[in-house]
Amino acid sequence: MNCETVKRDLSLFLYGELTLEEEQALQDHVEACPACRQALEAEKLLHQALDERELEPPATLLVRCRQDLSRRLQSGAPARPGWLAWLRQPLGWQTIFKPVGAVALVALGFVAARWTGPGAGPPAMPLGEPMTSQVRYLEPDPSGNLRIVVEETRQRVLSGRLDEEPIRQLLLAAAREARDPGLRGETVDILRAQPEAADVRRALLATFEHDPNDGVRLKALEGLKSFATEPDVRSTLVRSLLVDENPGIRIQAIDLLIQKREDALVGVLQELMQRESNNYVRLRCQRALQEMNASVGTF
Amino acid sequence: MELGSAAALDEAAWIRAAQAGDQAAFERLVRAHDRSVLRLAMNLLRSEEDAYDVYQETFLRVFRSLHLFRFDCSFQTWLYRIVSNLCVDQLRKRKARREESAVVDTAEGPRDRTDVHPDARPQGDPERALLSRQLGQRIFQVLQDLTPRERVVFELRHYQGLRLKAIGDALGTSEEAAKTCLFRATQKMRAALGDFV
Repeated sequence: MNCETVKRDLSLFLYGELTLEEEQALQDHVEACPACRQALEAEKLLHQALDERELEPPATLLVRCRQDLSRRLQSGAPARPGWLAWLRQPLGWQTIFKPVGAVALVALGFVAARWTGPGAGPPAMPLGEPMTSQVRYLEPDPSGNLRIVVEETRQRVLSGRLDEEPIRQLLLAAAREARDPGLRGETVDILRAQPEAADVRRALLATFEHDPNDGVRLKALEGLKSFATEPDVRSTLVRSLLVDENPGIRIQAIDLLIQKREDALVGVLQELMQRESNNYVRLRCQRALQEMNASVGTF
Repeated sequence: MELGSAAALDEAAWIRAAQAGDQAAFERLVRAHDRSVLRLAMNLLRSEEDAYDVYQETFLRVFRSLHLFRFDCSFQTWLYRIVSNLCVDQLRKRKARREESAVVDTAEGPRDRTDVHPDARPQGDPERALLSRQLGQRIFQVLQDLTPRERVVFELRHYQGLRLKAIGDALGTSEEAAKTCLFRATQKMRAALGDFV
């Protein structure tokens, strides 16, 4: 490393953005070269001068920002179904279920719309049938009439087998859309009998990764066990290993992942050792690393 | 804003809860990051009002798009992507208008942007105070002369302490490109301020 390179890299050195080798070479050079040592001191002073220019926002500004944000979120939220419901939109499921979602909601009757009960709908609706309805649009005209758009859904009973396409599609939608975790769990139980179907596998993966209920996630994991060496399943397992809140699921994820011992897994497990707070998971992780003849830390 | 491992796991839980509609979790997410967002905007834009606008727009965007967050980068990186883009846009507008003045109106009255933080002012030494003021003006000028992208990269690295890899991710570019930007920014700083330090 010569003086020109050193002077060019001084700032990156102070930011800790050089490679270990570059850093070592720079330090060696600076030790032996008074001019570069002086340049390094000047660079430090420059950084220090810049440090002093940092502005800390006044506390009053932060308070005003928070209050106004809160007000804007409150006032910007639609009256129904509310921003909370809006935020409840599923992750990545729209693409899987969009074409069948509406049908499924009607048929299985787990739509989150308001239950009006028999006879509670507008007069034009046939009475006596179970129905859910929701006002979507309202327009008064100058004569005093009201034009109301009502979205309605009707319950009906379908029967069939899992290998029949409409039934499977309805189940796929139910696995995600049903509000009742018991129903989602039952659906996953049925679906996992056919994990070789690509859409079922996607559904199991999505349920395993996103379902808020531990029991449902575990059922989905059961269904994925026979595919634990497949890349899509493994990458989902790795993500869950690092973010799933349930230690039991994290342990099962380790068990499945080490069925295929690959180099990339060592890094994942070592990272887990760094961040894992549950002793059982740590122990399982440690044992897995030992089984793979890998060190526990990354050093 | 850098989170430890346990905190990062907590944060993942908050994000999931907020995505599922938990308002309190959303608020916790905002509270965990909003000071850094405001500081970044304030330092980049050197204006309380502009920083306020960026803060509001950033979290409204987070609110509208949180359901799209897929954990394929850290939440911090995702958030910085939003705030950085907003600040770059604002800086570009200013460049186009060439309107930036050294004096800004704040809640406490007009203030010279080139002033150092009051706590950092040298006390009882007029010569040092003058030097410090001149240095402040020079720093203000050189920051103005950086391109918006150089400015953001410098700010994220120097004041926010982000690694170049994370900066590249936040700005939708490579680590190498972020490094080049930082390198150019520090070169300009050195050229403009070298005789002061």
